[in-house]
Amino acid sequence: MIRERFVKSNMKTGRTAGIGIALSLAVCLFILLAAIRAGSVYISLADLMKIIASHITGSPLPAEVDPMNDSIFWTIRMPRAITAFLVGGVLSVSGAVMQAVLQNPLASSYTLGVSSGASLGAALVLLCGFTVAGLEGIMLPLAGFVMGLLTVTFAILLASRIDRSVSDQTIVLIGMILSLFVTGIMNFMMTFYSDRSKQLWLWMTGSFSARNWNHCAILTVAGIIGLVILMMLSGQLDILTFGELQASSMGVEVKKTKIIAILVCSLLTGVSVAFSGVIGFIDLAAPHIVRRIFGPSHKVVIPMSFVYGGAFMALCDLASRTLLSPREIPVGAVTALVGAPFFAYVFFAKGRRKA
Amino acid sequence: MELLLKNVSAGYGSEKVLRDIDLSISDGETVFIGGRNGTGKTTLLRVMSGLMEYEGSVTIGGNDISKMKRKSVARLIALMPQASEMYFQYTCFQTVLLGRFARSKNVFGSFTHEDREAAKTAMEICGVYEYRDRLLNELSGGQLQRVLLARTFAQGTPFVLLDEPGSNLDIKYRAELCDYLCKWAQGKTSTPYGELKNTVVAVFHDLGQARSVCGRTVFLKDGKVFADGPSSKVITPECLESVYDFDVAGYIDRQVIIH
Repeated sequence: MIRERFVKSNMKTGRTAGIGIALSLAVCLFILLAAIRAGSVYISLADLMKIIASHITGSPLPAEVDPMNDSIFWTIRMPRAITAFLVGGVLSVSGAVMQAVLQNPLASSYTLGVSSGASLGAALVLLCGFTVAGLEGIMLPLAGFVMGLLTVTFAILLASRIDRSVSDQTIVLIGMILSLFVTGIMNFMMTFYSDRSKQLWLWMTGSFSARNWNHCAILTVAGIIGLVILMMLSGQLDILTFGELQASSMGVEVKKTKIIAILVCSLLTGVSVAFSGVIGFIDLAAPHIVRRIFGPSHKVVIPMSFVYGGAFMALCDLASRTLLSPREIPVGAVTALVGAPFFAYVFFAKGRRKA
Repeated sequence: MELLLKNVSAGYGSEKVLRDIDLSISDGETVFIGGRNGTGKTTLLRVMSGLMEYEGSVTIGGNDISKMKRKSVARLIALMPQASEMYFQYTCFQTVLLGRFARSKNVFGSFTHEDREAAKTAMEICGVYEYRDRLLNELSGGQLQRVLLARTFAQGTPFVLLDEPGSNLDIKYRAELCDYLCKWAQGKTSTPYGELKNTVVAVFHDLGQARSVCGRTVFLKDGKVFADGPSSKVITPECLESVYDFDVAGYIDRQVIIH
């Protein structure tokens, strides 16, 4: 109902949408700052700003700022919070787009098997010790990324081979079957390396600990490229939700649009999974919240999913490292604990509306 | 410009719905496609706009429609379907505005003031501008049909293919629709190929509507063209009886007429 009122006023003035977006950005910035500042060591906003300013301008740190704080906040907390934000953002964007492309409210960035493929890649590295000379340092994210994308590519090729029109059901079913199959292989491997499976389990539940500025930089570049391409497809995505036949009659190259959108989403998801493990639910939940507030138009849904998903992930990561401090709860568990009830709500609320 | 179908067959799976269709429609014509349920009327409209696979050839202005970019086709031919999938609830205005997609030149697909004006005009013609901020699931069947009609006209194409455009409309809107289609068919639309006369190809089940709008009638039977010619010559009691397999003229006579 909120959304209906919102959409109506939005159409009339265009101002309410602007206020909503501005408000969301402000809240998101507040959450990000909170995620950086909160924890076992606390810092004043002024000191934090001084630290950021000194690193940006390259000037020496002011004497009144504790150098210890500088290393805690600049090298640990900030890259961690920003990585969490970026991962949450790109996962939500790809979730939003996958839901539209596959016309399935339960579709997510992981529907086509990115997560299971990436997990298999991680298993190869963590369990079997698979590595390539010279790339040892980045073997884990690299294997996750490559195997995730290989799985999706294989799913799309298989789907287009079986069904020339590449229908949504075919894609979803093939993605599911392939995911289960790949997960099966991984479980099979785990029985042989049970002594090392805890490491794999930790990787799979996701974490943002020990993330650095390099992670942020790669995610930022991938995120910007992905977001720009998806924004260029926003009109096509809107039209696709009216069905492929109508989309085609209105000038959309349906197959091409779907494949590009799915590949970009998989790429974004692949980068995220490589850096943080498999973190579910945000990609599913954030787009639904955004559509309730702003309506379904992808020109707004895509950027706002990024903002909401990012803020939600930063918040979940904050919870994961502070709630049972010094022990850390896997962030995937936090998002799922919040996400699962939400998932049920969307599902049943939809049933009610239909009745 | 000519929309030309040569030896076209099409269907779903192994079942052929259309067989060996030869048809030529020039710009400026108003064509009624008639026939019983399941004879391939909808399939014919889809084939004409290159939306499904077919055997044979379909060309517009000499260009093979299956090889054209969808945007180029969508600037010449608009198709109003019988029903619409609606996965997300857009407002009526957003829905109609999306009809302008093929004309948008912006890389991010943004709509211009001109697009908004075209959407507004189409909505006013179809009598739905007052519902512009309503969500699609809040509309009645007839209102939804008029929104889809507005979207089809907002597309701004010289060829408009309508699949039962009046099926959910009340009698007043049906009459208005016919009047508007007759008026619109007199006009012209500018396209990348120059100015073309407006063309209507419509499937109706109401023969009165068909007669009032369309100068030419094509009857399909068992997936083939059964009759094709000026409506006044083709829509006869004998022809109708063969097309619909029953005494249509007798049925119309028996219907209650209010004097």
